[in-house]
Amino acid sequence: MKKLSKKALNHSFLNWFYGNLTCFSQEHMQTFGYMLSMLPIVEELYSTNEEQTEKIQTYSTFFNTEPQVGAIVVGITAGMEEARANGEDVDDETINGIRAGLMGPLAGIGDSLVVGTLLPILLGIALGLSGGGSPLGAIFYILVWNIGMFLIMRFMYFKGYELGGKAVEILVGEKANAIRESIIMLGTMVIGGVTASWINIKTSFEMIGEEGRVIVDLQKTLDSVYPSILSAVFVIICWYLLSKKRMSPVVVMLILVAVAFVGVLLGFFDPKLAY
Amino acid sequence: MTISVWQAAIIALCACLSSMPGLGGTTFGNYTLGRPLIGGLVCGLVLGNLPMGIMLGAAVQIVYIALVTPGGTVSADVRAISYIGIPLAMLYVSSVGLDPAGAEAQGFAVSMAATVGTLGTVLFYGTATINLVWQHMGMDWVKKGKLKSLYLTDMALPWISHILCSFIPTFIICMFGSDMVQIIKDYLPMDGLAMKTLFTVGSLLPAVGVAILLKQVVSKPVDFLTFFFGFTLCACMGLNLIGCAIVGGFFAIINYNIRCLSLRPAAAGVASADDDEEDI
Repeated sequence: MKKLSKKALNHSFLNWFYGNLTCFSQEHMQTFGYMLSMLPIVEELYSTNEEQTEKIQTYSTFFNTEPQVGAIVVGITAGMEEARANGEDVDDETINGIRAGLMGPLAGIGDSLVVGTLLPILLGIALGLSGGGSPLGAIFYILVWNIGMFLIMRFMYFKGYELGGKAVEILVGEKANAIRESIIMLGTMVIGGVTASWINIKTSFEMIGEEGRVIVDLQKTLDSVYPSILSAVFVIICWYLLSKKRMSPVVVMLILVAVAFVGVLLGFFDPKLAY
Repeated sequence: MTISVWQAAIIALCACLSSMPGLGGTTFGNYTLGRPLIGGLVCGLVLGNLPMGIMLGAAVQIVYIALVTPGGTVSADVRAISYIGIPLAMLYVSSVGLDPAGAEAQGFAVSMAATVGTLGTVLFYGTATINLVWQHMGMDWVKKGKLKSLYLTDMALPWISHILCSFIPTFIICMFGSDMVQIIKDYLPMDGLAMKTLFTVGSLLPAVGVAILLKQVVSKPVDFLTFFFGFTLCACMGLNLIGCAIVGGFFAIINYNIRCLSLRPAAAGVASADDDEEDI
């Protein structure tokens, strides 16, 4: 009965923690990080170079997900590799089926929960602590994010290893869908909050009467309808262009440059600058 | 303020570590060093004006607070934003004598960072393309059984890509930064159309970052109501993000419980009758 040592697992986890995207290309996004993190595992389970080479090639297929939440997949395959070394019926197709099946769902959770929710919250707190140019906010962010993420990823990796193939039921079953949907709901709400808190689009459009009296102050009028409505409108327009018109983010940015130019010409936007 | 060779070299090294396929790793490289607030801390320390670095970095951070790179599509390059945009903005702000806490200085920093960040996507695609060479070499080595070469492929060879696409561009731009901002200052008056447009673009760009995230989470029109619920909490009711996350978490739990209830009849079909009664 072969059992992976704590040392090999830790080594494998650290290889993933650091190396998941260091050799990124559009063809093999996280493939090399994945192979590297499986190396300590196969080295311990198999003694000959031929066996090791054969097993490591299982992981040479394309892999890409949100790498931090994705640590669990590496853990799962470490557990499955151990089972395979003990003669259980696990073949390349099973392992790669699981890897391919988990990539998408985990990327969705990772992007909305980690990058979309946790990151803006921590950065928001850090910005609050940065008033007057204080380094406190940056230090807070560096410590909390790195220590927190390291522990979370470590937990995910070892949980995945413990569960092995069983983790799949937990990650893609009906109950998992309910959890995923709820987490994404939380993420969507926080993204709404981020829009309201961190996007600040205002118009300077005014209609001025004969004696310099302001007849219409568009920003005030809009605020009385729904506060910060312009920020929300711009986000929705960008979303529409990105997902319904399938434009690339760079094209959308260029459109915004054009909008800004025309808006400034018409007096709709005016940042009120002076030396 | 001028940038010496050593200062430019340290900033350029941080650019290598921080970019999206960065050599600092995802968590410490991209998501820590790459964030403009941390870039502001680093540039502030290196250039000897920490408060200014933080203030400008914080202003830029607001634009990129929700920068994601789903599936490797990069709309803005963090190494360019944090280690080209912020140093140039610091040079400009100190040479014009703007108050770094003021709206003009921060608006300039945002527009500068957004401009170089968008142009900097070239650096991202450059790095990824050069990495292809190492990956093809690495794949051959693995097939021949040279497994230790994985360390070389994944952790050492990408340095060459980064020296070409991160270190050299950042180093050169930082070295000639003072001349560059002098030209900007001479030819682009603050109240001119170009500058006004740049500043306005700076305030519009955050919408793209949030929209990319929204694309990830919105699957049906009703989801927009969830989005506007969070928006209303912060815009109309004045909650901050932590408050918003707690309310959101509460609703997420309710949603989860409701979903689990709807799963039950299916589960009851398999379970025995006794179990069912116990559940109730």
